[in-house]
Amino acid sequence: MRDQLITGIRQAVPVMLAYIPLGLAFGVLAVEAGLSVAETTLMSALVFTGAGQYIAIGIIAAGGSMLTIIMANLLVNLRYFLFSTSLVPQLKVLPTGAASALMLGLTDETYAVAAVHLKENPATIPYLAGLNVSSYLSWVGSSFLGASLGSIITSTEQLGLNFALPAMYTILLVLVISERKHLLVAGAAALACLVVAYLFPATLGNLSNIIIASLAAATLGVIIRL
Amino acid sequence: MRAEILLIIVGMALATAIPRCLPVALLSRFEFPEKLKEWLSYIAPAVLAALVAVSVLAPDGTIAVTMGNRYIWAFIPTLLVAVYTRSPFYTLVTGIAVMAVLYNFW
Repeated sequence: MRDQLITGIRQAVPVMLAYIPLGLAFGVLAVEAGLSVAETTLMSALVFTGAGQYIAIGIIAAGGSMLTIIMANLLVNLRYFLFSTSLVPQLKVLPTGAASALMLGLTDETYAVAAVHLKENPATIPYLAGLNVSSYLSWVGSSFLGASLGSIITSTEQLGLNFALPAMYTILLVLVISERKHLLVAGAAALACLVVAYLFPATLGNLSNIIIASLAAATLGVIIRL
Repeated sequence: MRAEILLIIVGMALATAIPRCLPVALLSRFEFPEKLKEWLSYIAPAVLAALVAVSVLAPDGTIAVTMGNRYIWAFIPTLLVAVYTRSPFYTLVTGIAVMAVLYNFW
């Protein structure tokens, strides 16, 4: 059990690292948009999602309505339906209540790490808790710091930290590919999401190009015989 | 803490928690057909490839397939290290270090 917890925390380290610049930037932007430090931190603590929160403060700054914010969040969060459903076969071994509660910590990054790990290892509560809670604390902590320190923070770009997230996606993609079919699906998804983004630039803002591309590429994977 | 902001936050929390938790809460008691399981097994590689593509080729919210896009240059050594070491640590260190060098000296 303890090993599982440690594995989860260890695997969370890249996620925690990647969340630092994202959380700091979110905190700075949220305060600029007119939120207080407490409101900013509470949002990160209760919502724990990157894209949805960035969109929310954009709408708040532009004077948009609450309904717009919530609708935009529902749209952006559609991908979580997909992630959560794709983990159902692996999470069956756990009590449903605990598994559902652990999904509160599902993000693009924790999903990717867990999906790679659960391909070869059985799901356990300490593993998922270690991964998700560590990532959560990094997000909430760095949001708070960003909101508190505000403009004192100079560019995290100078430190190269803005490449933490792309680098993490890259290694997780490499680790998740274990057969030729995966390579085909990955290539199709990358191409499809760029084509959709090119044709409909608005999809880049709400990540729907990623959902469309993933649905299409997974379907292609089932149809095509290699 | 303003009431309106609090309402926004609670609304967002629900709009985020429901898609995260509902599938596991409702679907865990069903045995998925093999075809569906196969389809679901392709979701992770598909999502990750899409995230890599967007984060490298459209880092600022618009597609930027240009020589001046540092993300593309940083991606090349990062991918090589990822493929050859299969280590998250070395991959992240490489990506961050290369990006820092590119940012400060180019």
